Amino acid sequence: MITIRQSSLDRGWIRRALGALGALTRGGTTNLLLFVSLAATVMIVAGRRSTWRRPVWTEFKRVLGNVAVSSLSTMIATGALVGFALVTQAVYWLEATGQTGLVGQVIVILLIREIVPILVGLIIFGRNGTATLIELGEAHTGGWLRQFEIQGLDPLALLVVPRALAFALGAFCMATVLLLSTLLTGYLLAHGLGLVAYSIWDFSDLVLRATTTRDFIVPPLKCITIGFMVALACCATGLGRRDESDELQRIVPRGFVRSALAILLINGAFDVVA
Amino acid sequence: MARPTTRSVLSLQGATLGERQLSTAPTRVDLELPRGTAALIQVDDDVDAASLVDLCMGIVPPADGTVRFLGVDWQARTPRERLTRRRRIGTVVQTHVWPSHLTVLESVLVARFYHFDRPRDEVIADATALARLFGLPGLPAGRRESTPRRALVRAACVRGFIGAPDLILVQDQTLEGTVDLAVPMAQAIADARDRGATVLWIVESLAAEAVRFVQAEQVFRLGDQGLVRVRRR
Repeated sequence: MITIRQSSLDRGWIRRALGALGALTRGGTTNLLLFVSLAATVMIVAGRRSTWRRPVWTEFKRVLGNVAVSSLSTMIATGALVGFALVTQAVYWLEATGQTGLVGQVIVILLIREIVPILVGLIIFGRNGTATLIELGEAHTGGWLRQFEIQGLDPLALLVVPRALAFALGAFCMATVLLLSTLLTGYLLAHGLGLVAYSIWDFSDLVLRATTTRDFIVPPLKCITIGFMVALACCATGLGRRDESDELQRIVPRGFVRSALAILLINGAFDVVA
Repeated sequence: MARPTTRSVLSLQGATLGERQLSTAPTRVDLELPRGTAALIQVDDDVDAASLVDLCMGIVPPADGTVRFLGVDWQARTPRERLTRRRRIGTVVQTHVWPSHLTVLESVLVARFYHFDRPRDEVIADATALARLFGLPGLPAGRRESTPRRALVRAACVRGFIGAPDLILVQDQTLEGTVDLAVPMAQAIADARDRGATVLWIVESLAAEAVRFVQAEQVFRLGDQGLVRVRRR
């Protein structure tokens, strides 16, 4: 009798564990599908000429200004710090091993293909994604989403599309600034410390020789996609807050987790595919 | 005054308000608002008043019956078409609600710029004239946090009356309590009616000072059995 009870208990526990795993998988898949459908909808709506009315343009320019222009100093400072850490270390260790000829390849592989897109994604989330989360997080609870609906304003066209495209374009601009400031700072430091003896033109030549046509297409596309997805994650998380019980402070970490996941997944997907 | 046409601007036929705060039974609403007329409806509860606004605007479908705006059933249109049709409705609702990422000026004008292609200067001139009618020196250009409450209420009135909407829907408790808005509101409503607009004001109390000077053809109270015609003293 005891054996039977024990076995039914085991089966119950297994069933519950399987149920929880199934619920988690289904929930995750549903969220992923919703996110993909949101991304597709935003791209379709953004492609319509009728979407780009005056307030949509105004909002796009405002967000792009915040993403690309206001964060210029942050990007330059970050680039300087990364340049110090990466280029000097790369040059130092390559010189220690007598492989200074590989400096261009190391920089291209590490910096252009991997570090810059991830850093840009994280900075764009920190600087602009959190602001979007807070702005849109009070759209439902503050009542102004209803106000938009009453006035016949499409929230997707007026709130999501300009942000998604501004983040995407802004991410590309930020990546360019970050890359240039990193390379310049790294070279100047390495040159100043006497780790490299060649001129800045030779250094540029080394980096350019190490790049392929693919490096002019894939990393920029990666940055644009990351910017787009961070915007979507923030917009979806912000607009998903429907009542006051879901505290505003909780949606920022939630948005961060989703954005970070999106950044790492896109980075991985590009590495595998391209 | 504009000649009234036979087709109602807003028509509620057996439209049922789903869940009400102060009533257990669903309420059937029948209402015909011809062009160029004004109507007042007293709704005791704020949530019910907001539900009635949502019903009239096609935001929430009626549990039963139909709601037609300019002869077209809201439910016969897609969500996108419904949004576009709302460009012909001016609303003075939620006077305390302003998006945080826009200035008050931008919030007032955003719908005009979104739906219509008129030059910016002309729209601003119209808005400024309306702002003066409501007792403001001009439209507030700051954000909601830095704008006095009094100015926000008046800016919300500008937002509702700007342009030439076919229907103007007013529902806000704060507005009702603002005594010095009674004359400007009556003036704005009269001007809108002269242009052929229809006005529906949903009030908490018909005795409110703000509605004192409004000349309404139809006056109702929303009861358990629907709209009951009442006489104003």
